[in-house]
Amino acid sequence: MVNLKFPITEVEDYLFKVNVDLRIYSQEAITANCYKFSGDYYVHQQMDEINNNIVIVFIESKEKTAIIPEVVKQFCTDLIDQQLRIYTNKQFGHIRDLIVEEAFKPINKL
Amino acid sequence: MNYQLLPFRFERFDDSRYLLTNDVGEYIYLTNDDFQSFVYGTMNTSSDTFFDIESKHIATTDKIEDVVNMLATKFRTKKSILRNFTELHMVVPTLRCNSSCVYCQVARKNLEDHTADMTKETAKKTVKAIFKSPSQCIKIEFQGGDPSTDFDMVKYIIEEAEWINLIKRRQLEFVICTNITLLDENKVKYLKKHHCYISTSLDGPKDLHNQNRPLQKDTNNHKIFEEKLSMIRSLWGDNNCISALMTTSKYSLGHFKEIIDEYLRLGFNSIFLRSLNPYGFAQQYKEKISYPIDDFITNYKEGLDYIIELNKKGTFFVEGFASILLKRMLTPFATGFVDLQSPAGVGIAGAIYDYDGNVYVADEGRMMARFKNYYFQLGNVNTDDYLSIFNGEKLHDIISKSCTESLPACSECVFQPYCGADPVRNMSTQGDIVGFRPTSEMCKKTKSIIRYLFELLDKKDADINKIFWSWIR
Repeated sequence: MVNLKFPITEVEDYLFKVNVDLRIYSQEAITANCYKFSGDYYVHQQMDEINNNIVIVFIESKEKTAIIPEVVKQFCTDLIDQQLRIYTNKQFGHIRDLIVEEAFKPINKL
Repeated sequence: MNYQLLPFRFERFDDSRYLLTNDVGEYIYLTNDDFQSFVYGTMNTSSDTFFDIESKHIATTDKIEDVVNMLATKFRTKKSILRNFTELHMVVPTLRCNSSCVYCQVARKNLEDHTADMTKETAKKTVKAIFKSPSQCIKIEFQGGDPSTDFDMVKYIIEEAEWINLIKRRQLEFVICTNITLLDENKVKYLKKHHCYISTSLDGPKDLHNQNRPLQKDTNNHKIFEEKLSMIRSLWGDNNCISALMTTSKYSLGHFKEIIDEYLRLGFNSIFLRSLNPYGFAQQYKEKISYPIDDFITNYKEGLDYIIELNKKGTFFVEGFASILLKRMLTPFATGFVDLQSPAGVGIAGAIYDYDGNVYVADEGRMMARFKNYYFQLGNVNTDDYLSIFNGEKLHDIISKSCTESLPACSECVFQPYCGADPVRNMSTQGDIVGFRPTSEMCKKTKSIIRYLFELLDKKDADINKIFWSWIR
């Protein structure tokens, strides 16, 4: 059994679960991060039945081979970046829309 | 915060730095600490780092309207391929071919089999449809089979196009894609007279070329290729009249250096290190000739390193894929590479007209039709008018699902400004046009190569930078 700190738990050597706190991370960020890992692993999310602020993410090897803990740690690191993307996008998303609108103005006049 | 963040994407580049890019392709590296302070609005706006960020239009202290106008102009330039609509028109005069390439993507016909030859009636309607395109530049590219096996039809189409162009006054260009083995002096003189450039295939030195691209009735394709190449250049008087493409089969792996040397020996000054396309025989016999994409990436990097070394020693030689990507990374300009655009270039930048008049969004769409998948057929020049082919629901649907700005994973990818979508490949390899990036080999290959170019640029090696700039001029 690999010794990992909360919020990562090794269920089996091919199956890990990560508890993600919705007060820190949005559901959008969690799902986007799961998507990126879903090529190499089966990824499943479910709400914690006791604590509604926790989403449990299961990461399972597709070939039932052992998952190295670094993969799960990377999931947690990437989740931070994913949340930051949502944070920054909120600040400039409207500007991107303005740029695209401005860029296509000449053709709108046709 | 006393500055406004402007649209950008980011990714951890290594343990200590983030890479940030914006929609118009400008980029900057920030240390982890700088990145944190930047996104949380605490960066000192008088610092050198902030000046760099501002100069790249990733944040601003100016009036938003002014910056939006400037970025919109740059964005328009980046997307200028959309301005003119379909420019590249590939025409298949026949499916006959005298080669039997191991990775052939077409259900080719034998030289005696005329069942897949274009008729004059279809050719006439094809040229008429081509000139309906609003593009000021019309490039007609003959594909096959090998179009030289029906050279009379090639001539008919060229002359028909030139005739129509007397009135239409477009910038008209021709290219013939051929293995060149059937070209004789008369044909070459004709091609020269009509400014029809030649695009051929060269997979490497003799043994490799002969293994990948054997002729049906001759065992030494390479020898004939070399003789014909020499004849063409001598008649034309310009080495640039002919360019060559290579395809990497399993047999090519581990031999990129020899392949590049062969291109040099035969007087070419560029190569496009191209992986196998997953269509036709390449898909059907993939165990025999295909390979893991990681193997191609490793070989590509070694090949690129070798080419850079050649350039450092004074030999000007370009790697084509890198030069396209570098142009996107280092300049505000668009590149006309149809296979890697957003929205995808299929149909709107290039289209193919088959021997029977069927129109497909791309050559690969035609190849899929040979294996009974007609998803990418837009219509037929014999039965459908131009607008129903090129402004129909199908093409609209394909294009709306091929913008990397909005595709899952692509939309937030730091390399998005340099990349593009390929709905035909997605359909062929993953079963739908949107595709699934986490297992997409094309995504893996393109991202790996872009990342490698960033790593090379990051070396700040003056020689490498000089070489890269020489490739994109």
